[in-house]
Amino acid sequence: MSLRFKLLLVALSTLALPWAGWQFVRQTEALLRQGQEQALLASAGTLAKAFAAQHVQWPAAPVLYVHRLAQRVAVDGYGDDWSELKPYAQALGPAQDRQKLRVLLGANADGLYLLADVRDATRTRVDARDPRAARSDHLVLALEAGAETRRYLIASGAPGPFEAHADAAGAALPERLAGAWQEDGSGYRVELRIPDTVRIDRAGVGVFDASEPADDTAELRALLAYDDTAAKSLAALVPDHARARVVDSDAWLIASGGRLENPGAGVPGADGTSGRLVYATLIAPVLTGSATLAGDAPRLDAAEVWQALSGVASTSWRAGEAGGDVVLTAAVPLSAAGEVRGALVLEEENRALPMLANRALFGLAGATLAALLIAGLVLLAFGASLSFRIRRLRNAAERAVRTSGRLSGPMPLADDEDELGDLARSFGKLFDEVGAYTDYLRTLASKLSHELNTPLAIVKSSLDNLDHQALPADARAYAARARDGAERLGKIVRAMSEAGRIERAIAAAEAEDFDLAALVAGCAAGYKPLAGTRELRVRLPPAPLPFHGAPELIAQALDKLFDNARSFAPEGGWIELSLDAADSAALIRVANSGPALPAAMQERLFDSLVSVRDAGMRSAGETPHLGLGLYVVRLVAELHRGRASARNLDDDRGVEFALRLAGMPRRRLSESASDA
Amino acid sequence: MPRHIAIVEDEPLIRANYVEALARLGYEVRGYASRAEAESAFAQKAPELVIIDVGLGDEPDGGFELCRSLRAKSATLPIIFLTARDSDFDVISGLRLGADDYLAKDVSLHQLAARISALFRRMEALRKPVAADNVIAHGPLKIEAERMRVTWNGADVPLTVTEFWMVHTLVRFPGHVKNRDQLMRDAQVVVDDATITSHIKRIRKKFIAVDPAFDAIDTVHGAGYRWKP
Repeated sequence: MSLRFKLLLVALSTLALPWAGWQFVRQTEALLRQGQEQALLASAGTLAKAFAAQHVQWPAAPVLYVHRLAQRVAVDGYGDDWSELKPYAQALGPAQDRQKLRVLLGANADGLYLLADVRDATRTRVDARDPRAARSDHLVLALEAGAETRRYLIASGAPGPFEAHADAAGAALPERLAGAWQEDGSGYRVELRIPDTVRIDRAGVGVFDASEPADDTAELRALLAYDDTAAKSLAALVPDHARARVVDSDAWLIASGGRLENPGAGVPGADGTSGRLVYATLIAPVLTGSATLAGDAPRLDAAEVWQALSGVASTSWRAGEAGGDVVLTAAVPLSAAGEVRGALVLEEENRALPMLANRALFGLAGATLAALLIAGLVLLAFGASLSFRIRRLRNAAERAVRTSGRLSGPMPLADDEDELGDLARSFGKLFDEVGAYTDYLRTLASKLSHELNTPLAIVKSSLDNLDHQALPADARAYAARARDGAERLGKIVRAMSEAGRIERAIAAAEAEDFDLAALVAGCAAGYKPLAGTRELRVRLPPAPLPFHGAPELIAQALDKLFDNARSFAPEGGWIELSLDAADSAALIRVANSGPALPAAMQERLFDSLVSVRDAGMRSAGETPHLGLGLYVVRLVAELHRGRASARNLDDDRGVEFALRLAGMPRRRLSESASDA
Repeated sequence: MPRHIAIVEDEPLIRANYVEALARLGYEVRGYASRAEAESAFAQKAPELVIIDVGLGDEPDGGFELCRSLRAKSATLPIIFLTARDSDFDVISGLRLGADDYLAKDVSLHQLAARISALFRRMEALRKPVAADNVIAHGPLKIEAERMRVTWNGADVPLTVTEFWMVHTLVRFPGHVKNRDQLMRDAQVVVDDATITSHIKRIRKKFIAVDPAFDAIDTVHGAGYRWKP
């Protein structure tokens, strides 16, 4: 993976930014919420105190709640008019099975109504007048008005209307109560009306099941109804856009004031459906508020309320009626005389908060996107420039390695002041050292040969003089040997200075036009007698190959290649010399059937003082090989804008040295004229 | 009366060897270690032949300086450079200053002696009339072997002893290819191929300086050189 893409990946870390921002927005939102909760709790507390001071006078639990009935009620025993209130029916069954009897009380302008639902699959039917009535399935309704209490036995031999008679004499309470009785497989239902001629304080309902005889005592409970007076004074206390409700200690609604309405409703906001969605998924806390609190239920059976009733204020959030709205609820206990008698629930619907949060979130998203884009672009550009610079440095380094530390021109980036500049300078220093070392190596042989020439001349001239002395015959042999050694030393010294001489010759070489094919042919003819037992194969192009270069030098390079091939090809082997025209260059190849080159040496073969010959290969009396021959070949190739290379032939057939020559650049007429 | 040879060489061992070897051949030889010493001696008595090393003590080009001043005094005094500095540049510099030959130090005493006697022979010959039988003529080329003089279309071509011997070898059998070994043997030098090549190059240049159309020496690549018949 390139540096650029790595940096781009690093740029992705800016994605942490929106996350952090999101957290921040959420935190801010949470703080705002907390503030709102505190504010609402405070106002709920104030409200509760104000309300409690004048209105806490409802009976203590347990009570029978009298629902408000809106419409006229047909007393038919079917209970269709009660359907909405069914869930709020109070279980008044015997202690072992409370749900056996479920009672609903309701009131409207016409009077007080009662609906009793009894679960009793085994029926024993008799009329109320029947003496067996007390031991058959029946209900007992007890009413109390002031000091007077009357009990009515409710039973019916068949579904339909019935009359229930009071058991004792009384003055205020009615003598009879008319109602309707209906049955189905699982039980029976009784609906009856109590005329509102008298104010009833307490009431109770008992059930008797003939199959499970038990006490049919009707426990009297105080009646609790919605208090319009309290509601009015509560409405006066409630702040705008809020709703306050008061419940008794069993969560029955006593008073309600104010209305839940959204102050922000109708204000066109930036957040439509998508905004609400964003808010709901990203910011909104889990809305844990009880849904029970949403409507106009007669009983607020909600956790918040129960907590308040236990004496501890609580708050909660729930979704509002309209999507995206939130409702904040605060429930505080209502106390009277150091006793929790009920709770006050204050609600506030709010839209400002999600809007605010959404705006912040959208702003954040936009800013983050822009930041991400900018950071990405900047990092990409930076990465591109960085990798461009590193590539330049690498290319320069590779070039320098190829040329043994010689760089044409200055090291790139060497003037830069950052770490890459340091690296470039270090590279530059390294290459200078390598270059100096290479130069030293290259000139070492020729320098050394210079220094050796003088002592060699001393030895040789001394030996020459010695020849003219009268030496004993056995001493002459030593003199001859010394001469032989000096000769060999002379050869070595000459070979050592050869590269230097060739370099000078190359520097002074003058190009001319000639036929390369003829030159190679001539050389090949000269090599024939030298090849000995080795077979010399020559392959030349049929047509002349015009070439611009230094023929003497090319011939010398060819000599070196042939010499090399001859020394490596075994007796009876072969040497192949070929010339091809390749594009704008000429390709001279000298192959031989000698042993393969070690892979590591192939690149360095053409360097000065590099030889693959081991000492054992040299026959006695032969001059050592200094590894200058192929260096000369390389110099000649470079003079002709070409290169020398060596490779092993396929199938281990042998080794091939190739010389690719493009020709020397033609001088312009003015230059050659001034040169002459 | 023995001929008087001066050797200017800063290396005492070599100087002693040369002095003794040449004295054995019957020359009267004097050795000098520095240019100043040689010049003061030459002011008293001029030698008949001078062998000079290019680097003299702390003067790297002292030999060239000495050659220049000697040539200024005498146009005919034979001067031989004998030096370890055998680069083409040094050879050309030495020959431009008017030296008669330029030898590398690994030359044998025998080869040195051959050149000395050739140079003395030429001096002798220059004083005598031209002997007809010693003249080789081939086209515009005329070689007077005794005087070691070569003319092309009547114009003098100033060749060194080594070069003269090479041309002589080529011209004796025009059209025959002479390989490098033959040329070396006849020119009484032992040098490498590159040096032979530069010798031939110099010879060509000297002829071309006389006649820009000169084209008589052929290179036969891989074999050697020949004089165009």
